Amino acid sequence: MHIKPHSITALAAVIFTLLLASCGSENDRSAAQADGPPRIVATTGMLGDAVANLVGSQAQVETLMGPGVDPHLYKATHGDLERLESADIIVYNGLHLEGKMVEVLERLAKEKPVIAMAEMLRTRTLISADNFESAYDPHIWFDVSLWTRAIKHLRDTLSGFDFLDSDSLMNNTRTYVGKLEALDKEVKETLAPIPLESRVLITAHDAFGYFGQAYDFEVRGLQGLSTLSEFGLRDRVDLVDMIVRRNIKAIFVETSVSRQAIDAVIESSRERGHELMVGGRLFSDAMGEPGTEEGTYIGMIRANVRTIAAGLQ
Amino acid sequence: MNDFWIILIGVLVAATCGLLGSYLILRRMAMVGDAIAHAVLPGIVIAFMISESRDSIPMLLGAAAVGLLTTFLIETLHRRGMLQIDASIGLTYTSLFALGVILASAFAGDVDLDLDCILYGEIALAPLYTLDIGGVDMGPRAVWIVGGALILVLSFIFLGYKELYITTFDPAYAAIIGVSVSLWHYLLMGAVSLTTVAAFESVGAILVVAFLIAPPAAAYLLTDNFKHMLLLTVLLGSLAVVGGYYLAAWLDASIAGAMALCMGLVFCAAFGLYRRRLHIASKSLTDQQLAARG
Repeated sequence: MHIKPHSITALAAVIFTLLLASCGSENDRSAAQADGPPRIVATTGMLGDAVANLVGSQAQVETLMGPGVDPHLYKATHGDLERLESADIIVYNGLHLEGKMVEVLERLAKEKPVIAMAEMLRTRTLISADNFESAYDPHIWFDVSLWTRAIKHLRDTLSGFDFLDSDSLMNNTRTYVGKLEALDKEVKETLAPIPLESRVLITAHDAFGYFGQAYDFEVRGLQGLSTLSEFGLRDRVDLVDMIVRRNIKAIFVETSVSRQAIDAVIESSRERGHELMVGGRLFSDAMGEPGTEEGTYIGMIRANVRTIAAGLQ
Repeated sequence: MNDFWIILIGVLVAATCGLLGSYLILRRMAMVGDAIAHAVLPGIVIAFMISESRDSIPMLLGAAAVGLLTTFLIETLHRRGMLQIDASIGLTYTSLFALGVILASAFAGDVDLDLDCILYGEIALAPLYTLDIGGVDMGPRAVWIVGGALILVLSFIFLGYKELYITTFDPAYAAIIGVSVSLWHYLLMGAVSLTTVAAFESVGAILVVAFLIAPPAAAYLLTDNFKHMLLLTVLLGSLAVVGGYYLAAWLDASIAGAMALCMGLVFCAAFGLYRRRLHIASKSLTDQQLAARG
């Protein structure tokens, strides 16, 4: 079984030619880009929605992580590289939601404006990890008033750019903030009938820390902050104890997390004679399909709150 | 330039991993890359607990230390514990990974610490992560890291070619002529662990694990000459990198995924070629036998 040396040389020549061809294929993207509207790239759907509501038709807004994509598990595609590179402004959440991608975004900040939405908030409004002061919970969007505050910071930053009209930015923000304030009130009203004792939100992913803080819910996760970290055995026993003791009727699944952990808890509760329901799916790290109501931030919050209210009453 | 950088980084990864992988598959240790990919978890958890940050430098140091420990344990259990090499790999990495899971949930339960978001890089974004020394743009950081690893691997193989060759193919003979089999094993495994950890950090785990195994496995089918095998490994890996890049660009898909898939296809082609030659060889043999009888 011998391959001839000249076929190895031929193979090398083919690869070398292809490699050279790749250098020449640089297209004139920058020329096309100069004519069009400014492009703003956001990492998550929530950020994209916020930016789009603020800038209106003044800029083209693109989102890297589509519906159902967990930011912890996001894999960049070939097109994402081009989107990041051709963007005029990049908006990301920060506080390590985007994981290792943050290092790339911080590098890009030397060339173009890169805005970390959650990092504009004061640190005392943020929830930090139990043992590590410097690690903050990144899921700020589930507290509507905190998100509104972040959006006002975003407006201030965006109005500093010459290519965005600051008057219309102010107007758009005023309208949108009005909607968000109404939403915050609506959330509180919808949740009001739930008695204090049953205000426990159990989900598979600790994305609801800010939600709990803002709307008086005790939030219990089935796993740590990360989508991958494991759930301890005693954690589960403790959780089932509490479900039975406080007569909690429903636990919740999230769109971007598997149902396995949740099913285990339902099974254990049933063994102890407590009928536990799955209260429905909550949106956590990603919004619904574009074009549907849940494909917007406001629709997503409404859907979550409706599901929670229906399950826990 | 991005196309060029990604393909260059891919080729550097393919060459670095392929060269080391050639030795690994001949020593029946192909899964060691996958093992290291999991086993480094306790390293990053401990590095986080000490440094309280998730920056890449402490993570890389923690991962490299545990990577070395992993290969050391694998070798030691195999040599001193008389354990089969595959069992030794399996035992070591599952225990270390489990240790990492326990440490993470006991001490940092509410901090996001998983390998995918903290340690593993992404080749698609590598061109944007440039190295900047004193204000001068030095090109992508991954080119320097993986390129540096390739230079180390090349000099290791160049300087120790004879020893590596002999301890790989005929350890008993190596021992007789006074070449320390275990020393060269440990050196090779040390090179593997440092290289894979550096490559994971630059381009992610899928690409590294795929290119440690598939290109040498394909090259192994195509030649009986070890030097040709090393050369072919690099070339077949590079071919898959180029093909995978254009496949990903065409489909707007994950670049690492497309490159690993292309490597699978290259292996299939090599396998087809191998079967065809085997068939022709056995047929001509039968013809000769028939002719001899007739």
